[in-house]
Amino acid sequence: MSGLESVLGVVEEIAAAFITFYLVALGHSIFEKAGLLDLAIDGIFFMSTGAAVLGAVVFGTPIAGSLIAALVASLFGLLMAYLLTALPISHGAVGLSLQFLGYGLGIVLGYPVRQQVGALYAFCYSEEALFEMVGLALLLGVLTYYLIEKTKLGAAIRASGENPHAASALGVNVLATRLVAAAIGFAIIGFGASFFPLLWQKYWDLKVYTLGYGWLAFTIALAAGRHPIFLIPMAFLFGGLVEYSVTIQSLLKLPADVAKLIPFIGALGAMLAYSFTRLGRIFASPQSLGKIYYKEEKTL
Amino acid sequence: MIRLIVLKRTRPLKYGRLTTVALALAAGILLYTLILAVIGVNPLLTFSIISASFISSGVVKDFIVLTVLGYALLVAFKGSLWNIGAEGQFYMGAVPVIYLTTIVFFTTGSVSIIQSVLVIAGSIILAILFGGLWGAIAGAIKAYAGVDEVPVTLILNYVAYYLVNILILGPFQGKYVYGYKRTDLIPEAYQLSIRVQLAPTGNPVIDGLLSYVRELIIFGWWVLALAMVVTAVWWFFNKTSLGLKVKVLGSNPDYLVTAGWDVRKVTIATFAISGGIVGLMSALYLLGYLLRLEYPIESQTAGYGYLAILVAWLSLLDIALVPVSAYIISSLTNAGISQSSAPEVKQALAQAGFAGAELSFRWIMIGSILLTYSVLRFLSDYEVRVIRE
Amino acid sequence: MGSQQIELILKDVTKTFPGGVVALQDVSMKLGGGEFVALLGENGAGKSTLMKILYGIYTPDKGSIILNDEVLSIRKPSDAIRKGIVMVSQSPQLIDKLTVAENLTLGLENVKPLGGFSTASKMIKEYSLKVGVKIKPEDKVWSLTYTQKQLVEIVRALMLGAKILILDEALTYLPIEERKKFYVFLQEFKRNGGAVVVITHKIPEALEVADRIVVLRRGRVSGELTRDEASLEKVRELMFAEAAKEITYEKLPGSVKGEKPVIKAKDLWVQGDFGVHAVKGVSIEVKEGEVAGIAGVVGNGQRELLEALIGLRRVDKGRITIDGLDVTNKGVGQVRKMGVGFIPDLPLRFGVSQDNNIMENIAVLFHRERFVIDWVEIQELTRDIIKTFKILTPSEFYPVKILSGGNLMKVVVGRELNYSRRALVAYNPTRALDEITAVQVRRIIKAKAKNERIAVLFASEDLDEVYQLSDTIYVMNSGKIHGPFDPETTLKEEIEKLMVM
Repeated sequence: MSGLESVLGVVEEIAAAFITFYLVALGHSIFEKAGLLDLAIDGIFFMSTGAAVLGAVVFGTPIAGSLIAALVASLFGLLMAYLLTALPISHGAVGLSLQFLGYGLGIVLGYPVRQQVGALYAFCYSEEALFEMVGLALLLGVLTYYLIEKTKLGAAIRASGENPHAASALGVNVLATRLVAAAIGFAIIGFGASFFPLLWQKYWDLKVYTLGYGWLAFTIALAAGRHPIFLIPMAFLFGGLVEYSVTIQSLLKLPADVAKLIPFIGALGAMLAYSFTRLGRIFASPQSLGKIYYKEEKTL
Repeated sequence: MIRLIVLKRTRPLKYGRLTTVALALAAGILLYTLILAVIGVNPLLTFSIISASFISSGVVKDFIVLTVLGYALLVAFKGSLWNIGAEGQFYMGAVPVIYLTTIVFFTTGSVSIIQSVLVIAGSIILAILFGGLWGAIAGAIKAYAGVDEVPVTLILNYVAYYLVNILILGPFQGKYVYGYKRTDLIPEAYQLSIRVQLAPTGNPVIDGLLSYVRELIIFGWWVLALAMVVTAVWWFFNKTSLGLKVKVLGSNPDYLVTAGWDVRKVTIATFAISGGIVGLMSALYLLGYLLRLEYPIESQTAGYGYLAILVAWLSLLDIALVPVSAYIISSLTNAGISQSSAPEVKQALAQAGFAGAELSFRWIMIGSILLTYSVLRFLSDYEVRVIRE
Repeated sequence: MGSQQIELILKDVTKTFPGGVVALQDVSMKLGGGEFVALLGENGAGKSTLMKILYGIYTPDKGSIILNDEVLSIRKPSDAIRKGIVMVSQSPQLIDKLTVAENLTLGLENVKPLGGFSTASKMIKEYSLKVGVKIKPEDKVWSLTYTQKQLVEIVRALMLGAKILILDEALTYLPIEERKKFYVFLQEFKRNGGAVVVITHKIPEALEVADRIVVLRRGRVSGELTRDEASLEKVRELMFAEAAKEITYEKLPGSVKGEKPVIKAKDLWVQGDFGVHAVKGVSIEVKEGEVAGIAGVVGNGQRELLEALIGLRRVDKGRITIDGLDVTNKGVGQVRKMGVGFIPDLPLRFGVSQDNNIMENIAVLFHRERFVIDWVEIQELTRDIIKTFKILTPSEFYPVKILSGGNLMKVVVGRELNYSRRALVAYNPTRALDEITAVQVRRIIKAKAKNERIAVLFASEDLDEVYQLSDTIYVMNSGKIHGPFDPETTLKEEIEKLMVM
């Protein structure tokens, strides 16, 4: 009995971290499955946290924060998907630019509001909401899996990511498909990121943009093959890593900042494990990920 | 029905690249001014501060740093290797410098000239090695594991931040800092800034010029290093076989393979050189300006590593244009700083709720300049035509 | 099916490509429902171009497409598809990681975005039975054989409602047994009113299955034959237009072969791009001073063989030695170090770096030892090459991308010829070169073989060139090699036979 209790206890502690990482990685995966390289993820993550704080405070309820964050992120996703599919420009360059923009906009959106209210507690999700949100996250994951693997739209998304030229020859409207994938994907990123200030940390300030959690989500998605179901254990692992590194640090009497270091070493390890083992082949990235899409003649 | 189609140009647009850069800068400045205007800062004020900063002497220090870092990134970018890890390479380069000057050879008194020279030289050399090594790690991961170098270099930035933090709170903790979380100050014996006093003449133009000269003298060692870096990079790309391979790697890796070279080795070497130059600047920065490391390091960083990306990109990877690009970016950055200290601006920002976050608007500027540049860049190789049907 | 008889007319179609290449000149052709037409011709004759115009991939400079008295405006494949014209090419345009059903569903307009793959699944099972090729709808495309992939492509065409089916070498590379199954099925398609155009270089087969044969030569219609009229002789005559067995190019004087083989390959098995072996147990030897030419229609493994010899492609089985040294799978650098030049297929993509100038392109290959480049030496070499090949360039310092296609080719060829100290491996060495330069290049190759005793192994789609240049002729067909043949004593017809069998 106590074994089960302690397991549940662990799950509960990691739950909030899990939801955040899982949803951000999930949304990112949908976007990338369509062949669009997402190097803006850390910036979008931070921007969404700022938007979430703004939304929650202005409307007085956390769910508003989550929805506003989803909306704002979604708009950026649409912009990225359009630019990268209609024009022959570099995915990486656009992604990085939006990362920086995301840092700036996140501050603009969240900072004044946060200074006004000081503490965020009143606008955060309640304790009970935690399990509801876990359920919601898992539900979103299952729905995403079903969409990607079992529907024509999902096949179109995957086709656009593997070989947009062949996809087009097969009858796929690559631009429309990528716009849909981006809207849904980034909305989920925004939604997931909103849980960082409103559910997990119940706190937000300027320094959040230095955390680099977007890159952890990036690695989670990479190592789990962008697969909605396999993302679950991977996100759980990294959530645990982040939550427990503080515990590990104090237990082993390690110096401060080791806790912050552990998840990133983990990320590097995951990348290497992914590349050098069979994992890489099973979980291969979409073949045309990040490739500039240029046809002889294209309509804007 | 009107259709817009994108076609490859048969002949590249003549001043396409330069126009793109100009437009990108304009876009960034405009967006920046716009957002500040929305918050309540008079756009005219913004413009005047930006223009003034182009001729202010505060630019000199950043200019030198960004030029050197710009060259470091140029080396990598010419090989189409996106070294976004300059921040990490910078701080890893700082590690041996602090170690040698504040731990091993720390002194409160004076030392022999020989010791000074050896410690300084040793710090610089080790800084180059550490920076180069940190870069090489990213290069190796890209070369052998095939992982995109952007997330790898970025993650290595974080790893570097935290490693250095651990060191600052640990073995590097200063003994003469009254418990503050920093390292000791680098002893004067090892400092590389040149003291100079120039009496004001009362004439504002001459005084302005003199303050410029003063800055250049203070950072005289940096200027020397800069000259060496420029020469070295020029020599590397124009006279060496490895430099040529890097250029070909950036233009067509397939041909590099057909010519019988190992792309992986070239990749690692490029990253190592890039990181090494970053390490060099790191040593100079510490020995000549920063003089210590403070915890937490990620808030101390002026973001040079990221600004350097802008510098390298906007220089169109042309060795001659790097200083120009660096000058522009350092002026804009300084504009941001002096802006936030101007009383009217401070007030407006505070009223809008941005007290304490003033410096963060630079992200918007950097982001919009880069975005505009990345998007408009295709216009120099492609054209857009309107078709009526 | 087919209550109305289809009638498709292509009238006076003309197409010129940038650079002045005239691909088609006033070509007219008719196609009716219930007809099976074979479109034949040498490489570069224009067959593929003509069909691509019909399918909307290219736009003609002149000419019209008329279907059942309606003038069609076909700008892209979907326009053609809408009119019932569907093309299947030799390379399947399918998404490897998706299943067959998923691939096909993507093109089904009446399936909603959130719909599943059952409609497509049913259709595949049906056709799989009909044609006699086993495919399961849930199979992933990467696991399919080439035959199965081509079947999927044809099913796709039928699902799109094709009335006119264009097969551009679509069946050419299938094993004969499977090909027969497709022909049977196509006969049924014909009987239901559909029309089929097949581009193939397997002439005997075309004679068996086609109702009518149209032969193109150098962009024009060389002739048409009905099934009864047609014979192998007549077709070859129309294709190669040699009533007499004259050799059109002057034969260059050969040299005495040495005894030592420079290039030696034994029992090579090399994979192609689609996962099937493109080279099947090829053994070949090229001695000092020998020029060996491999004749063959494109796509029979020559490219893969040459790429394997230079080290660019993995060898699954077999050995390669250069001057006695085993270089199998040791990488390009090892082979290059031994002084082997290489003219690749797609030289503009794999053989040159466009943002660099001529000197740099040369230096990165030639300069292999020291760290600092001696630009004076390289500049001399560059000037030499520019002069010899009359490369038109404002200066040797400009990035190579400003040069015209022909001049770019000269840079590659000039550089590689100069670099070859022991051997030269080349694929279509004079493609995209003007006649004069082409002859010059061939002379230089012969001279180097004679004077510097290098070994030359080249593959060319131009049979005349093979005859002019080679001391020894080989033929590659379906991954296997035939030969050696002596150009002095072997008739062109024999070689042609081996090429198209």
